[in-house]
Amino acid sequence: MFARVAAIALNTFREAIRNRILYTLLVFAVAMISFAQILSLLTVGSEEKIIKDFGLASIDIFGVLTSVFIGIGLVSGEIERRTVYTLLAKPIHRFEFVLGKYGGLMITLLVNTTVMALWFFLVLIVKGMFDPRLVLAVLLLYFQFLLITAIAVLFSCLSSPILSSVLTLALYIIGHLLWSLDLLKEKLTSPVGKTACAALYYLLPNLQNFDIKGQVVHGLPIDPAVPAFATVYLVLYGSAVLLGACAVFQNKELQ
Amino acid sequence: MTPASGLRSPSRGLGLAALACLLLAALVQGGIETRAAGRSDIHPLLYLPSGKYLKIAALGFDGILADTIYLWSIQYYGNYQITDRYRYLEHIYDQVISELDPHYLDPYLIGALIMTAEARRPEMALKLLDKGIDRNPDQWILAFEAGFVCYDDLKDYARAGRYFEKALEVPGVNPVVRRLYAEMYNRAGDKRASLREWSEIYRTATDDYVRNIAWNHVHDLSVQVDLVELTEAVRLFARREGRNPRGLAELGSKGIVVDLPRDPEGRDYRYDPATGDVSYRGGLILAR
Repeated sequence: MFARVAAIALNTFREAIRNRILYTLLVFAVAMISFAQILSLLTVGSEEKIIKDFGLASIDIFGVLTSVFIGIGLVSGEIERRTVYTLLAKPIHRFEFVLGKYGGLMITLLVNTTVMALWFFLVLIVKGMFDPRLVLAVLLLYFQFLLITAIAVLFSCLSSPILSSVLTLALYIIGHLLWSLDLLKEKLTSPVGKTACAALYYLLPNLQNFDIKGQVVHGLPIDPAVPAFATVYLVLYGSAVLLGACAVFQNKELQ
Repeated sequence: MTPASGLRSPSRGLGLAALACLLLAALVQGGIETRAAGRSDIHPLLYLPSGKYLKIAALGFDGILADTIYLWSIQYYGNYQITDRYRYLEHIYDQVISELDPHYLDPYLIGALIMTAEARRPEMALKLLDKGIDRNPDQWILAFEAGFVCYDDLKDYARAGRYFEKALEVPGVNPVVRRLYAEMYNRAGDKRASLREWSEIYRTATDDYVRNIAWNHVHDLSVQVDLVELTEAVRLFARREGRNPRGLAELGSKGIVVDLPRDPEGRDYRYDPATGDVSYRGGLILAR
């Protein structure tokens, strides 16, 4: 099974790196990281904060866009192009196909994030501003991309690319606003409302778990449990979403 | 004309037309800028809602949003053509930037500087700095800056001293804060406390530069404190005995002064029994 998933993953990776969107996003990310240096000249005070903020934000934004725009076409694109029939005619399970596609995008995102991070770190090393904790911040951003990709794959199995991208981006926004549900729960008096808020808070993807940008940039202490919890959360939530995607694709009628 | 050149001509024409349109658009933009120059329109960023709400919309990018607004604010408040630019000063620094990124120190410091040096609103600056101190208790620079505003702008030395004292509580504080703290007692009129602080700085100084500075203050303050104490003692003697003491030693023999002070050079202070005046034989170092 592993060999079949790996073969699909490798093929997906090869396909993704031929995608012009990937290069466009990568070029924009590298340009934005470089632009931060020019922008930092406008400041009065610490340039370091601005360069680090812009670098991490660029990796975050362009990583998410890569996850969404490549992730949403992973399954539905194969169906549209009808290449999925050729693949599924071979002795592979449908879930292996979904996992392979996801694996391929994991590798693509790893390469993409590594390129952006290396450029970012190089800029910081040259300026003598590098902080090893930035590696942890970028690693957690990568984990966030993996979760968003899983969600994009699920939606890709369910609907069209446009709808998938809208839904994935909507979940990305919700994932960063979940704390407001917790606040809303405190304001509500109805037990039903409180329960609904609590349920949504715990069931929707909480992407704030992967955000330590502020602490790293300001040199604030980071609870060692945060990265550990984020990793476990990714594994569990990502597995749940991918299993859901496999289940949907398993029952999908391919005509 | 070959078919290929026939294709090139229309595309070249379209390209030139596009370039012409772009140049025209740039000209129109130039016209807009010229018309806007000198007009004190309220910049749309000034209408930003509180950072508390912006933080929600920032989706985890609150740091970069704070950077962007801070960069804009420096350019905006540095533009002397906008005469009423200080109208939303507090809103931008106190309500927007510091709410978006409470640990970003530069906006507290630069915001306070603009409020004091440009807008002449030191109390507004102190409010902003108080917020920064509250949110960044491990950063001595904010309390130091607040102390400096009290010292330099408000001339409220007691209040300045309280801020410097707060800065001194933070580990890693710059030694210059201690010197300012000691000096604030002097400016506020408490020379004994100032002498105590300067003596401690002199005792603990690790380099000659600081030791020399501290010595100058210790020297002058010792003289000033001694002169005040001796003058008070002479007056007390005169009230009790109905005459001035014949010499300063008589203050000791009558139990008014336990330990008769000598000047920093180890000499007795000069005393005039006729007038009861006590004076120093040398000159004050810092007055030179």
